[in-house]
Amino acid sequence: MKTVTLVAGVLLVFVFVWERVDVVRLGYQIERLKTQKVLLERKRDQLQVKFSALTAPERIAKVATEKLGLVPPQQGQVVMVHLPGEAPSLSLPSVEQVRLARHDSTGRVSE
Amino acid sequence: MTAGPSRGRRYVMLLLLLCGFSVILFRLVTLQVLQEAELTAKADRQHQKTVSFEGARGMVSDRHGKVLAMNVEVPSVFGVPTLLESPSTVARHLAPVLHIRRDELERKLRQDKSFVWLARKVEPEQGRRMEQLSLDGIGVMMEGQRFYPKGPLLAHVLGFSGMDGQGLEGLERRYDSHLLGEKRVTVLQRDALGRTVFPKGLAEQVPTPGHALTLTVDEVIQYIAEKELEEAVTHSRAKSGTIIVMEPQSGAILAMAVSPRFDPNVVAALTPDRWRNRALTDTYEPGSTMKMVVAAAALEEKVMTPDSMVFGEYGHMGIANTTIHDHDKLGWMTFSEVIQKSSNIGAVKTGMALGEQRLYHYLQAFGFGERTEIDLPGEVSGLLKAPKDWGGRSLASISMGQEVGVTPLQMVSAVATLANGGVMMKPYVVSEVRNQKGRLLKEVLPQVKRRAVSQDTARTMTTMLEGVVTNGTGTKAAIPGFRVAGKTGTAQKIDSRTGAYSSTQFVGSFVGYVPAESPRLAMIVVLDEPQGEAWGGAVAAPVFRRVGEQVLNYLGVSREDTVKIALAMKDH
Repeated sequence: MKTVTLVAGVLLVFVFVWERVDVVRLGYQIERLKTQKVLLERKRDQLQVKFSALTAPERIAKVATEKLGLVPPQQGQVVMVHLPGEAPSLSLPSVEQVRLARHDSTGRVSE
Repeated sequence: MTAGPSRGRRYVMLLLLLCGFSVILFRLVTLQVLQEAELTAKADRQHQKTVSFEGARGMVSDRHGKVLAMNVEVPSVFGVPTLLESPSTVARHLAPVLHIRRDELERKLRQDKSFVWLARKVEPEQGRRMEQLSLDGIGVMMEGQRFYPKGPLLAHVLGFSGMDGQGLEGLERRYDSHLLGEKRVTVLQRDALGRTVFPKGLAEQVPTPGHALTLTVDEVIQYIAEKELEEAVTHSRAKSGTIIVMEPQSGAILAMAVSPRFDPNVVAALTPDRWRNRALTDTYEPGSTMKMVVAAAALEEKVMTPDSMVFGEYGHMGIANTTIHDHDKLGWMTFSEVIQKSSNIGAVKTGMALGEQRLYHYLQAFGFGERTEIDLPGEVSGLLKAPKDWGGRSLASISMGQEVGVTPLQMVSAVATLANGGVMMKPYVVSEVRNQKGRLLKEVLPQVKRRAVSQDTARTMTTMLEGVVTNGTGTKAAIPGFRVAGKTGTAQKIDSRTGAYSSTQFVGSFVGYVPAESPRLAMIVVLDEPQGEAWGGAVAAPVFRRVGEQVLNYLGVSREDTVKIALAMKDH
């Protein structure tokens, strides 16, 4: 009986120590993942800055005119078409609405 | 063979093992449990150094979420001089990587300090090379660097922040308390070999970023305004220029362009003169654009109707021992024609019909002499003297836009008031403030300042101002397919040497709104000292047309000749 108790006690101590070691191991793992998260967030921010710089209207206009040879629409080349019952809103439309209006003008929207 | 000795040896072995394990266990339990706090604190004391730094500044984006300013973490290099054995050797290694003179680095590293910055906000590649060098007493820490990815776009409104992340100009300054990240003390720790220094628990200790701002500005409209303004300033060889585009119904600023531009990413070499937001810090005598306010007052007070007849004195009229001239020798004309032709004498007679007190009242009602209270720093209230301080000619001068100093923002707010049926809205630039998780902290709603004139007066004024563009001095502002209401202005500047009105220095401007029947945009174009032809109708009105046309196209606003088609929705 005493032996069993002794062995059980030793096992308990082992379990306790193992648990402590495992907590430390997991702690390191969590730390590593958190660091990884910070690095990924940093990368995301860098890409966001790059994306914003690349989509700047000034740059797009430069690429459109100088590289692609596009020109701004001249007078009379833009025709806004509204669906029946659709009154122009007083508030500013969203970008999506603007795009739709331009698609309408080229006749590409068939709905 | 007996079991006795064998069992005895086994017991001895077991006892020895147990003793051994017990010692190990006792030590482990002592170190990891009983003395844990004490030992951790001791280790921390030996290896840690505390430094405070702040969380990333909040992001600034336009009304469609396009990023205009944000923080990116970049490496900064620091040294711990007390840990260095040979500062000269370390400086020799660092100099080629950091591109800093060796003697300068050595001087810093020889200081009797436990922490010293060696190079802040360096290139990521330099940071990587520093980490590879792995020098004793030298560390790399990430710090927030403010980036304005669109370069000069909206720079005068955005402003910029300093090296330590504090807002110095523009929105960065006005909303500094929102944009600032959380300030937190960070613990730097050396590893077991004492070679590298890094923030302990890096992720946990990253301070909370500041709040994000959403602006009323649309980056595309801003770009159009800046592009056209730059062209106009270059073409007219003006000293500077301003364009403000405002939504009349709300007071929301859609664009605020100032020329010359500057890049907020590179401000170190610039003078304050370059980054001053002239749209609200600089006053000018507006000249004829002020006549629309005088006219609105006269209509509201019923001292004039659009058809009232006014005699133009054939271009010359004496007032207080001076003579007032008109560009043309005008005779009898209607009140509408006074505005269309921008007659000084007609405006003076209108002002005199109103009288000092009433004119002053309406100038105040349209916001002159007071700040618009826009959420940007540095705004001035302009110059509007009280009638008791007016001289013999003041009533006449003010009626034609002299002896009064206004900002472009005040003037566009005044015209937006007419566009908005006589109700003045408070201009604003920031529409939302959100925390880093996207939760809305503050929403700015359109705010009415006051009603300046009745809706009927505003409507009549719109018709009269349309006449300016169709038959008057502002024909170059006409946008095909749209009804434009507006007023030209050409004001002589005061010559600083003589104190008299200059015959060569002018401010040319145009202020108006479109479509006149249901205004979507109120806009002002001001060009300071254009060379050659300086008339507002010649230099500023065409800019109004070009910006207006592009912006209306961009917003998808229908022209009067819009084709309406019926699509058979049921067929699909």
